Order: sequence, then C-alpha cells, then structure tokens
Amino acid sequence: MPVLQHLCQLLYDSPIGTAIRESNITFPVIESVHVLSITLVFGTIAVLDLRLLGLVLRQVPVSRIARSILPLTWTGFCISLVSGFLLFWAEAAKVYWNPAFRAKLVLLVLVGLNPLIFHTTIYRGVEEWGDLAVFPWRARAAAVASLMLWSGVIIAGRAIAYFT
Amino acid sequence: MSLHGWFMALAHSPLGHAMQTSKWDFAVVEMVHLLALALLGGSVLVIDLRLLGVILRGESAWDLGRDLGRVLLGSLAVMVLSGIALLSEEAGKCYYSPAFRWKMALLAGAVVFYFTLHRSALKQTGNGRPALWARVAAVVSLALWLGVGIAGRAIGLL
Repeated sequence: MPVLQHLCQLLYDSPIGTAIRESNITFPVIESVHVLSITLVFGTIAVLDLRLLGLVLRQVPVSRIARSILPLTWTGFCISLVSGFLLFWAEAAKVYWNPAFRAKLVLLVLVGLNPLIFHTTIYRGVEEWGDLAVFPWRARAAAVASLMLWSGVIIAGRAIAYFT
Repeated sequence: MSLHGWFMALAHSPLGHAMQTSKWDFAVVEMVHLLALALLGGSVLVIDLRLLGVILRGESAWDLGRDLGRVLLGSLAVMVLSGIALLSEEAGKCYYSPAFRWKMALLAGAVVFYFTLHRSALKQTGNGRPALWARVAAVVSLALWLGVGIAGRAIGLL
C-alpha cells in the first residue's frame, strides 16, 4: 500500500476520525464552519482582486485595502484549514481516491503559489503603480488567477460530495 | 394560486424536471450559488466592519457601501436566480421545511434592513466615526446575513 494511502487509512481508523464520522452532529457542524470560513477567504480576497482589476473602490489605495482585508482572509484561511483537516481526518481513506479532492489539493497549492509570486514580485513596486488608473498587467493577471483558482477550490470542494 | 400552488408549479416546471433528473445540473447550479455566496459574504463583511469602525476608517462608509453594494446586489441577484433553480429540485419539501422558512424570513429581513436602516447608517457615518446606533446596525446586518447562510446550510441537513 502506498505510504500516503496507508496514512489516510490510519487517520480514518483512529478514534478521532471515527468519532467525527459517526456522530450525526459533529460532521455537519464542522462542514458548516468550513463553508463559512471559505466564504470569508474567497469573499475578502475577491474584494482585493476586484480592486486590482479596477472594478471596485477605485478611490481607495490598494495597499490600504490589502492591509485591512488580508488579516480577515488569513483568519478565514486558518479556520478553513483546521476545519478542513478535521473533515479529512474523518473521511481520509475514502477521499484518498476522490478525484475532486485530489483536484482541490492541486488547486490549493496553485492558489498558494499565486500570492507568493505576487507579493515577492509585482506587489513590491506598489508604491510606483498604486496611483495609476490602470494597474500593470501582471497585477491584473494575478487578480484574475486568484479569482479563478479560488473559484476552482470551491467548485472542486463542493464536487467531493458528488464523487462519493 | 396559493403559495403552495406556486411551489408545486415550480417543482413540475421544465426547470424543476431538469434539476430533478440530472445530478450535474444541480451540482453546477449549487456551485454557482456557493460562489455568489462567497462574494456576497465578503462584501457584507467589509461594509459592516467599516461601519463598525474596525477597518478602512479613513474611507467614507457611504462611498464604500455604495461601491461594494453593487457587488453585494449583483451576487444577491445570482443567488436568488440560482436559488430558485435549486428550490425547483424539491420545492414541495422546502415548502414545509422550517429551515427554508427561516431562511426566507431572514433573507427578507436582511434585504429590507439593507435598504432602510443600514443605508441611513452608512449615509450618516460618511467619513466620520460611527455612532452607537450605526454600529448596532452593522451587527444586526452581519447577524441577519449570517442567519440566512446558516438557515440555508440547515435546509440540506434537517
């Protein structure tokens, strides 16, 4: 058995994994928290992305929006990571084979790389382009990539349930 | 026609038929509904945190509310349309579902509140610090929208 699959089986069989899976209340409650926290992540990051595209809040400097909004995004991300891991714990052996789950993990890596690249490259020069009417194409491309990848994460995440 | 009659007509419409027979029709509409929910949630949160005086204090609450209000109303329109399609899948069941009834009541409350007291709270706050009642309005708005979401989630569980 491949190592990862073995690990998933161990999690699945563990007392905590079993407890979450077998409770009528725990799983849906964690799932609801997960959905709400993802709403927080995508909803807040979308405001920043729409600003980068010049579609909303044009009179507010993008750096100020980023400072106000990114802590909310990170809060949501931490909650969704913890709740998501608990859901995974309960279903690990099953979702190991789930194509939507695998797609979601790939999308999460990509969605993480995007801001990493954005913040270490084009965003460094925000002082220079932050006042322009239209932002450089790389900033707009990062915004489009973020919107599409996060949409993909939500779509793939919802699809997990349709493959079981 | 009674309200129940409308629900049954929706369930027996071509839309309802498509949603009941194809698993992926329902899945796709549900995903659209979720994406719009995220956009709505984000804009509500940013507007209300500004109204509370927590973030973007230097910006006018009124301008922010008007600008993000377009995102909010746009997503709301998508949610209502996709929601009608989702409803058509099991309209008969939803009609009697307490979670669905709560959701509709809270949604009506949230929309009415948004266009009335919430609007005047944003207008009065403008560039300044929010008055106590404006902050209460922000909390009520957050609670109403959150309630819509939680009741919505409960439809599938109860």
